[in-house]
Amino acid sequence: MKKILKIIAISLTLLFGASTYLSSHHAFTAEFDPNAPINITGKVVKVEWINPHAWVHVEVVDAGKTTVWMIEGGTPNTLIRNGITKTTITPGTVVVVRGYQSKGKLCLPRCIANGRDVTFPDGRKVFMGSSGTGAPRDGSDPRERR
Amino acid sequence: MTLFSQWTGKISLFIVLLIANPLLLFAEEDHSEIHDLMAHLLDPAAEAIWDSAGFVITEEGEFSLEPKNQEEWDRVLYGAKVISESAFLLSRPQISKNREDWIAVSNLLKGVGDKAFMAAEQQDVEELFKVGAELYQVCVACHLTYLTD
Repeated sequence: MKKILKIIAISLTLLFGASTYLSSHHAFTAEFDPNAPINITGKVVKVEWINPHAWVHVEVVDAGKTTVWMIEGGTPNTLIRNGITKTTITPGTVVVVRGYQSKGKLCLPRCIANGRDVTFPDGRKVFMGSSGTGAPRDGSDPRERR
Repeated sequence: MTLFSQWTGKISLFIVLLIANPLLLFAEEDHSEIHDLMAHLLDPAAEAIWDSAGFVITEEGEFSLEPKNQEEWDRVLYGAKVISESAFLLSRPQISKNREDWIAVSNLLKGVGDKAFMAAEQQDVEELFKVGAELYQVCVACHLTYLTD
């Protein structure tokens, strides 16, 4: 009986319990500020090839201060289709990423941005986001209808 | 009793509760119940799939995110089963209102959940990574159509 009551309590908690939750799948506007565009130039220090979003960590040195930006990209499959692979974006590669800052712009606890396009040392510029997430129509997504 | 079988029992009872007692699922506005199902069942289940496959590259090398032991694989199996069963709930007439497009997307989601379960059973990390991408596509397709502020 005690066990059944516990299971019922767990079920009810699952349904009504948590009022907030974290999700790696979200609309653009839930996490990022379309009015806070940013250009990030620096060295790639880490790349996470995970679903539903790949993450590129870029180390930025400005006036002697080092900051690591976590930049959200599209799905790994999307990036690969666009020519961004694990051999083209490796730690040490210097990139320029155009994107939008997270709504919390104070970099607490981390500096987070949504990447729209990335420019490689050879000048190649590639869309690195996902289509249909609600990001601003800024011309970076070749699939968007303007 | 493994973690998976323990959770299977809990999921089954939870689903029985939802089906047997409409007050739990249908007492409020439809969108609210769908939100609860997404937030408390589907989202964590999807995270279990997404977190179980992929790799991280740093200056030190490449690291796989694949489950390291049976307990971690059980968590993936549980997530996959929750996705399939949640898709079944979404397709029920009380939620679907018999809309064919809604039911079609629910069926797609169920198919992805079943594929994830099979990949987890076979401990096939590459397949799990592919299924993770499919899962996201189904989520986005549905949200683009139905998600409103």
